[in-house]
Amino acid sequence: MAENGQLVYLYCIADSEPKIEQIEDADNNLYSICHNCLYAVVGKVDQREFGEEGLKRNMADMEWIKAKVSVHERIIEQVMADTDVIPFKFGTLFSTDASLKAMLEQYGQEFKAILGKLAFKQEWGFKIYYSPEKLKANLSNGDFEILKIEDEIKSASAGKSYFLKKKKDELIGKTLNEKINECGQESFELLKELSFEARINRLLPREVTERDDEMVLNSVFLVDRDEVGDFRNMVDTLKMHYEGKGFYIDCTGPWPPYNFCGLSSGKG
Amino acid sequence: MIVPVHGRHITSVGFQAGKDKMNAVVVKSKEVTLLEILDRVLDKGVVISGDMVISVADVDLIYLGLKVLLSSVETIEKLKGSPFTSPM
Repeated sequence: MAENGQLVYLYCIADSEPKIEQIEDADNNLYSICHNCLYAVVGKVDQREFGEEGLKRNMADMEWIKAKVSVHERIIEQVMADTDVIPFKFGTLFSTDASLKAMLEQYGQEFKAILGKLAFKQEWGFKIYYSPEKLKANLSNGDFEILKIEDEIKSASAGKSYFLKKKKDELIGKTLNEKINECGQESFELLKELSFEARINRLLPREVTERDDEMVLNSVFLVDRDEVGDFRNMVDTLKMHYEGKGFYIDCTGPWPPYNFCGLSSGKG
Repeated sequence: MIVPVHGRHITSVGFQAGKDKMNAVVVKSKEVTLLEILDRVLDKGVVISGDMVISVADVDLIYLGLKVLLSSVETIEKLKGSPFTSPM
């Protein structure tokens, strides 16, 4: 099916003609396919590398994934510097230009609706991590109830002291959860108000983040370009408020709107 | 309690709506990790299915290998410019 052992790799769909010649592309095989005023940014890839068998083999090779995923992201970022884009998932491949055009024909109206929604907006990622030890230390210093119990423990008998320590641990656990929820919820709500759309994604475990602290919020926001200043200002406010108290806030962007371009008929 | 910042006076470098509406430079915050990119590119984005499309299946498997991958990358990526990089 594929022509000359090559497949067509789709990076993104743009709503105006992308400046392909300005995009850094080491393999120099990037081009765009226009159909009904939609521009698909594509590249020719080797079927041995990206065909079903090759892909299966290569998806087990982390170095390969790392390199290819970075290229995917870099190309879309360069396209989106000039035009709004719908980013596609890694490894969306077509046998020929014609089959891609057929897809553009089939989904054209939906793509246009998505591009309409995404126009003049940016995706920003916002994650909160917390360090149990730091947060606990912070709590013990600042919480009146906990300090009171600590005081009582000092002057209590052995039996009563055991009971009080247990009470203190429970109180710390409860306060800890409250603080985490408060931080996560408040941050999310405040940023949501400055956004067009907001989503909460699954938390990534430490094995994946390779951080010592625990992720407690993984959220993404679709922000109007005119609101980005306010949005980032709010992030700074949140950082000032929460960092140093056991929380760490990680805000990144602007990203291609990977999280906000779902097709109504499927997942995305 | 945090007081929301009101008003529209704050503009951020590179994002002002000018004559050229699309000239915003792509400026990533400093601590973008490979993880961030992988999480988006492999897991999000539009998914199309059909006879003419070959799509990457089961990406969840990738996460199993992610630790290996990330540790093979210089940790500077995640350490860069972050005051909280070594909790403890």
